[in-house]
Amino acid sequence: MGQKRLVDRALVGASGVAFLVALGMVFFYAPREATMGEVQRIFYFHVASAWVGFFGFFVTFVGGIGYLATNHRRWDILAFSSAEVGLVYISMTLVTGMLWAKPVWGTYWTWEPRLTISAVQWLLYVAYVMLRGSVLSPEREARFAAVYGIAAFVTVPLSWFAIRWWRTIHPVIVSGEGMALTPKMIHTLLVSVAAFTLVYATLLRQRIALEHARDRLAALRLQDEAAAS
Amino acid sequence: MIDVQGLTKSFGPRQALAGVDLRVAPGECVVLCGPNGAGKTTLLRILATLARPTSGTVRIAGLDPAQAGADVRQHIGFLSHRTLLYDDLTAEQNLAFYARMYAIPDAPARIDGLLEQVGLTARRHDLVRTYSRGMQQRLAVARAVLHRPPLVLLDEPYTGLDPLAADALTALLTDLTGEGCTLLLTSHNLQTDVTLNRRVVVLNRGRIVYDAPHADAATFPALYRELVQEAGSKTQDAGRKTQEAGSKTQDARRETQEARGKRQGSANERVGESADHQLRSTQHAAPLQNPKSKIQNPKFLRQVWAIVAKDIAAELHTREIFSAMFVFAVLALLIFSFALDLRGALAQAAAPGVLWATIAFAGTLGLSRSMVREQQTGGIEGLLLAPVDRAAIFFGKALGNLTLMLAVEVVLIPLAMVMFNVGLLRGGVLLTALLGTLAYAAVGTLLAAIAVNTRAREVLLPVLLLPLLTPLLIAAVKATAALLEGATWAEIGGWGQILVVYNLIIIAVALLTFGYVIEE
Repeated sequence: MGQKRLVDRALVGASGVAFLVALGMVFFYAPREATMGEVQRIFYFHVASAWVGFFGFFVTFVGGIGYLATNHRRWDILAFSSAEVGLVYISMTLVTGMLWAKPVWGTYWTWEPRLTISAVQWLLYVAYVMLRGSVLSPEREARFAAVYGIAAFVTVPLSWFAIRWWRTIHPVIVSGEGMALTPKMIHTLLVSVAAFTLVYATLLRQRIALEHARDRLAALRLQDEAAAS
Repeated sequence: MIDVQGLTKSFGPRQALAGVDLRVAPGECVVLCGPNGAGKTTLLRILATLARPTSGTVRIAGLDPAQAGADVRQHIGFLSHRTLLYDDLTAEQNLAFYARMYAIPDAPARIDGLLEQVGLTARRHDLVRTYSRGMQQRLAVARAVLHRPPLVLLDEPYTGLDPLAADALTALLTDLTGEGCTLLLTSHNLQTDVTLNRRVVVLNRGRIVYDAPHADAATFPALYRELVQEAGSKTQDAGRKTQEAGSKTQDARRETQEARGKRQGSANERVGESADHQLRSTQHAAPLQNPKSKIQNPKFLRQVWAIVAKDIAAELHTREIFSAMFVFAVLALLIFSFALDLRGALAQAAAPGVLWATIAFAGTLGLSRSMVREQQTGGIEGLLLAPVDRAAIFFGKALGNLTLMLAVEVVLIPLAMVMFNVGLLRGGVLLTALLGTLAYAAVGTLLAAIAVNTRAREVLLPVLLLPLLTPLLIAAVKATAALLEGATWAEIGGWGQILVVYNLIIIAVALLTFGYVIEE
């Protein structure tokens, strides 16, 4: 227990430091973008949260496969904890995307491919969370969520292609010819991604611990009920 | 026939079975008693392969149900709390459907005989939903023993039966024991079952607290109450409880020996005596095959077709899904038309999007209802009990849903042609419609099987389904639009590929995961 607490504190500390460093780099290290100006700085949060959100959903996909293969609760806890944290990150991606779009495109929302794919992803995992709250049996809830998490993730690449071929006006940062960024911008982006990933790991760990605590509480309640009857 | 050791089953933190050891010899007839929540139904469902144990071993005639699921299921008959019948089929259609699932060679004769035995010959062509509870229970018993299983598990078989029907059931069970069947039945009715002079096992809080070869009708109810209360007040003293139960078992055996001498003949006793005889004569054997059974291995495609035919027959009786989908689709077309003021060139440009949105909404409605029909009286459990490949169930349900959706489209597409003045009757457009609908039916079947087991089943299916269908709907709309503008199927490129790839991926995912969705 002592070692776990130590790891938790180390993660929280590392996340805090990394986030402060990322903030400093975004506002003081990264150069001002020539065309978009200061509003471009939101890009470091937008891309980092999108990356971590997608990674979170990948972990949900892996957790779902793990649960179906082993029937072990820890995989299920990992899957839905990651989905919840991933959902928060994708929400952040959508909001930062819209805040950036207003001054640059003149509108908060347009049926632009990456906005659309993020919106679809957001809806998929909102549905995942709704499903979890709606199934009567805990065992079935875990299995249903695992199946939905797998199906949701495997359709993402298809949505990606469908929307990309449809039409796109979103800037392409990473292409076959490399990154369309200056070295300082790349450093800032990498630090932001690392900071967001550390925060994700911290939140995920806390969410998992919360679920284990809930399980222990439910078991204690049952023991209490059995003793009382 | 049944060998269970150290069996536990937990539902989350709640333990339904807490280490059950039970052996039932071939031909034996055992009554499983216990208060509500004791774990009787859970034990029966595990033995019937409908639920998986958390730990412990289960052997049915020496076979592990987890390893030899289909082989084991072929030899088990299960009467559940629910009838596992389809309300929208007749009694004869229900039995004929299950006969196909079990590949019974002499099905018509067997169905005739059983309907006669349960007194339903005169009502054989009536829909099950018009039956009284007692009639449905009788038909459910006929369904459970249709394939002449060597092991029959009955969960509260006398529920809802009047005295005459109960006598008929007793006679049927007597015949089964006479044929060498092993019977395990649960009951709350202590007086009736104990007078049958069967082996009685009492389950309380997931543990066996009493097991006696014969229990005396006069003394058992009081003993039972004592056992249940005692077990409740001494849950922390499991060791002592087991010893007490053991000594009570010895006492009960002694009492029963005495009672047997005084026993008077009755029609009901035949079951117990027959079971005793079978127990004595076949104690050392473990026959999996019922001597009268002529079971063959059912064929995959026949099972798929049987499920499709069953769904179509149910729909032909009611026409409720088709009617609802069609009317809803027409309403959607009208609403889109006036909401977007679709006229002239605008109507032609919007036609693909409006058409696919309409198909999506109407399809969701139909999918939801189709799975509710399957689940309403436990039909899906009936399928899981049969030696049916889970893939066959998926294909059967998906093709049934596809048939319904295509039937609606057959009317909807010409209607859309008239309303939007577009030529939809082209090879490419129809191929797009087929591929889009196939994928929709596949993913919809998977998700409808999930949604039907949720509290918010009516609203959750579209929430789950529509985000997953985004790539499909985009591809279908874009492909349809390109084809209407004169492109050929080869010229629409990526959209056609997405439709094909989506079908392949979603069918693969559904095939791999459908078993997890429909099993308990």
